[in-house]
Amino acid sequence: MTIYTDKIKEIAKRVLAEGKVDMVIGFRKGTMPMMNQPLYATSAESADELIWDSSCGINLANYVTDKKGSIGIVAKGCDSRNIVTHVIENKIKRDQLYIIGVPCTGMIDHHKINAMFDGEILNVEESGDTLTISGSGFSEKVIKTDVLRQNCAVCTHRNPVIYDELAGELVAEQKNVDPYASVKTVEAMSADEKWNYFEDLLSSCIRCYACRNACPLCYCPTCFVDESRPQWVGKSQDPTDVRTFHLLRAYHCAGRCTDCGACERVCPMGIKVREFTKKLNKDCLELYGWEAGLSLDDRPPLDTFKTDDPQNFIK
Amino acid sequence: MKNMLEHTGIEPGRLHFSWISSAESTKFVDVVKKITEEVKALDPHKKFVKTEPKVD
Amino acid sequence: MAENEPKILSFLCSWCSYGAADLAGVSRMEYPPNIRVIRIPCTGRMSPKFILAGLKQGADAVWVSG
Repeated sequence: MTIYTDKIKEIAKRVLAEGKVDMVIGFRKGTMPMMNQPLYATSAESADELIWDSSCGINLANYVTDKKGSIGIVAKGCDSRNIVTHVIENKIKRDQLYIIGVPCTGMIDHHKINAMFDGEILNVEESGDTLTISGSGFSEKVIKTDVLRQNCAVCTHRNPVIYDELAGELVAEQKNVDPYASVKTVEAMSADEKWNYFEDLLSSCIRCYACRNACPLCYCPTCFVDESRPQWVGKSQDPTDVRTFHLLRAYHCAGRCTDCGACERVCPMGIKVREFTKKLNKDCLELYGWEAGLSLDDRPPLDTFKTDDPQNFIK
Repeated sequence: MKNMLEHTGIEPGRLHFSWISSAESTKFVDVVKKITEEVKALDPHKKFVKTEPKVD
Repeated sequence: MAENEPKILSFLCSWCSYGAADLAGVSRMEYPPNIRVIRIPCTGRMSPKFILAGLKQGADAVWVSG
């Protein structure tokens, strides 16, 4: 995967020199291991900082909304689907973008890796399919596929949906995975079990809103959690407020979420926040046959009316 | 909406949708009766109610 | 409140169900007194926020009718 780095640098420098774009949004090495940062590269020198490895879990589509001028953006499968969503929602024009598509084989889960080791991890090296994780007093090799983020492990759209140029060969899509396995487990529970399951899931939430900030779909100028007249969601840690926040956040993503996993990646408490959006994704697929961000021409199910829309919930 | 609330453990009978024309007063009465019966069959709602924080 | 008299928060569309409720009243029909009506200009005005806020503030059930 790291071979992409050179290709991304080369493309970025070329499009910047040709004046096709004003800047290229990509990743640079973070100050901590497994924490790559977004980078706005505007010159050949800054484009030299661009990298690509298995820690590029943040969704870069988050950074293109309402931008002026032309932008180059490095996009893996889920990023490109979120870019499509942005184009559909008129947050950016397709011709403003030069998309450098990166076929992706999944990103690693830093929560999982941190939990595997007692000491602080100081360095993570990647070569091919193995990661060498080292800190003071230990150094160990792990297979990348064992430490993939959960959403990457069940991802069925690894290749970019739209792109102007590719940074590597397209990869094979995963076929034998069930993206909704966890939803099905919850669906089988009784109402009380479900309630307790989510109570347990959210018990550690500190309401930092990192999941909202990392989410490419959350671009409202004033978020419902910040509204105070009327105040829909209390600011407290009260379990009902926490749950209201998570439910409403999920609803705002209904029919738009691409399961990129950015919310889960940034959660400092390691809460599986995707459990909420996942259920709505499954409903969208079952009720409307819709998966977000696959085509520029189709309107999302919640802003269109069709005579055959399901309506058996209405008395 | 209903699907999701149920998914997170609110009982199915707590949210109802219906479609009644302004001329259908009989249907209105029927639906109110039906919903009231369904909700009476459930225990009073406790889970999601926000209560005053406890002070020790 | 008597035992097991649930409060049902009802959002009624001004043009449909609210009209039906009005007609039911004018025709002196009887129906259970458990519903608490909020008139909304159109069911399109509904938002998940309303439902959650209602449940949070102690409604036993929510009914949305267009």
